[in-house]
Amino acid sequence: MAERAKAESATTEQPKLAEELKKMEYEPLLPVEKKLIGWSIGLGTGLIFILYWVSVTFFPGGH
Amino acid sequence: MTARSLGTFVVLFPHERAKQGVDCMDEKRIDEDKAAEGKCDTPKTCVAEKKGISEDWMALWIGLFLFILSLGIFAGTDILGWGVTTSVWTDASKALAPIAKDFQGIKGDITKIDGQKLTLKKADGKEETVTVKEDTSQLKVGEKYEKKGLTGFMSLLYTYLFLLVVMTIAATALKANIGKFIFGFTVVFWVSYICWIIGSWANIAVTTPPDMKKFGISWSLKLTAEAGFIVALIAGLIVGNFFQGIGKAIKEAVRPELYIKTAIVILGGFLGVVAAEKLGLATAVMFRGLCAIVEAYLIYWALVYLVARKYFKFSKEWAAPLASGISICGVSAAIATGGAIRARPIVPIMVSSLVVIFAVVELLVLPFLAENFLWKEPMVAGAWMGLAVKTDGAAVASGAVTESLVRAKALAMEGVNYKEGWIVGAAATVKVFIDVFIGVWAFVLAIIWCSVIECKPGERVRVVEIWHRFPKFVIGYVITFFVILYIGIKFPGLMGKTKAAMGEGNVFRGIFFTMTFFTIGVVSNFKKLWEEGIGKLAAVYLLCLFGFIIWIGLFISWLFFHGVKPPVITG
Repeated sequence: MAERAKAESATTEQPKLAEELKKMEYEPLLPVEKKLIGWSIGLGTGLIFILYWVSVTFFPGGH
Repeated sequence: MTARSLGTFVVLFPHERAKQGVDCMDEKRIDEDKAAEGKCDTPKTCVAEKKGISEDWMALWIGLFLFILSLGIFAGTDILGWGVTTSVWTDASKALAPIAKDFQGIKGDITKIDGQKLTLKKADGKEETVTVKEDTSQLKVGEKYEKKGLTGFMSLLYTYLFLLVVMTIAATALKANIGKFIFGFTVVFWVSYICWIIGSWANIAVTTPPDMKKFGISWSLKLTAEAGFIVALIAGLIVGNFFQGIGKAIKEAVRPELYIKTAIVILGGFLGVVAAEKLGLATAVMFRGLCAIVEAYLIYWALVYLVARKYFKFSKEWAAPLASGISICGVSAAIATGGAIRARPIVPIMVSSLVVIFAVVELLVLPFLAENFLWKEPMVAGAWMGLAVKTDGAAVASGAVTESLVRAKALAMEGVNYKEGWIVGAAATVKVFIDVFIGVWAFVLAIIWCSVIECKPGERVRVVEIWHRFPKFVIGYVITFFVILYIGIKFPGLMGKTKAAMGEGNVFRGIFFTMTFFTIGVVSNFKKLWEEGIGKLAAVYLLCLFGFIIWIGLFISWLFFHGVKPPVITG
């Protein structure tokens, strides 16, 4: 009885990765997530040009 | 206990929690130090115990303590001059010596006396000029002169004893098991240092034909003296994967995050000297490093999140910490994101265990890629290490190995001798900026999650979390950097003393680096990859890391650092 309780406790306290992944339900990519990804990549791409210009203009690396 | 070291999963008071029925796992706080050091892999073992201060704060204090001692040179007291340094060797008995000349012994025939300066012809036929304190009017050219000093071994022994005392005091504050810590630290120190000595063997370290001639050797692996880091890492991997009993016995002192953060605090002073000599270039490197990480955060994270969600069908709870762990800064970012989106603790813990393993793979591969393909763009190579390699330890360690490999290759191929410190400086700068922004990123994610994606009951977003997640050792890095930069700019006449002081501090930085490599190896258990269920996680990690993270990191590094070259040593 005690052993069973111990085993149960171990199972609850130390979830197995495989079980956790099995339990994971499919969640379709929400429009808001698509928007978040799009904005993040778009902002990153846009900033590349701005930051590159700022670094070349105001922080030249040549010496 | 500080919240920085603990991924925060609690925002509610117990009565609020009970009222709102929040999942009990939300109460748990993950000990980030444990997770980063591979010391836990379940929510139960990763829960922070409320004891001691964090390794983050401790690294700050140890680093500052050593930094202050090294400044003794300004007061005319050489406090750390007995610290051991290792030269490239063919005769192991001559490999070690105290860092400061004052502590080294010397013997030979006097060939010239000039005031307090004596020129001696040593047994090996070489001449050396030394400054002596005694009355030189009693000495004559042709006489024998001998000054007793510390032997290399005694210097090493003093270094060990000093660090043992300092680290044991630190371990007491960290509430570690002191007996086990002393044993563990002794093993970690001696194994690491022996690896360092092995790496300095001329047949491993020497890189140029003139040096091969100088040492009288016909072949060399040309890995530079920093090969000791790789030797230490391999020794650690052997212990961690094949002698786990030893790994367990020394576990209390296996603290790669503590060692690397302490080293980074000391590194700040060394980079202060470097920056003071070329302030414009240093400012450019810092700004460009900042630009690089802004880009990395925005592009990396979104891409990994997309791949994990769309192609590997991970839920939001898994995909967000995974994206942060793979794309930003490994363990800290995974835990911070887990906290921000209120994932269950198992999620960031599992991600962290993968981060630690793959960081070692990167550490073993990327510096050699950089040596072969980026030796003409040294700063790109350094920044790439900071951007692509996860965990502080592995990233800055990769920067150190890359610096030595790239400098050696540039010297051998084109005779260009780049100044030391700039490449590892670029890696450290990028990494420190990444660390600083983890809290901001987690805060932004928490706001986005709670406002537009999924707000769990009782969730509150607090600005103070940014400070809680702020890496405190960075404060030490900033202090040592700016103190030395200020001295260098305001008092250029003191540059000689400043360099000597930081040189002595650098001895301890090197030792902490080596211990980092060894202990990273010890905590990297590759058997983890065989655990049931890890395949899917590992697959997304591998695909993202080697599929585009490393290459986008390379592109960003190239964009902001190409054409930026470290100063060259002439003459």
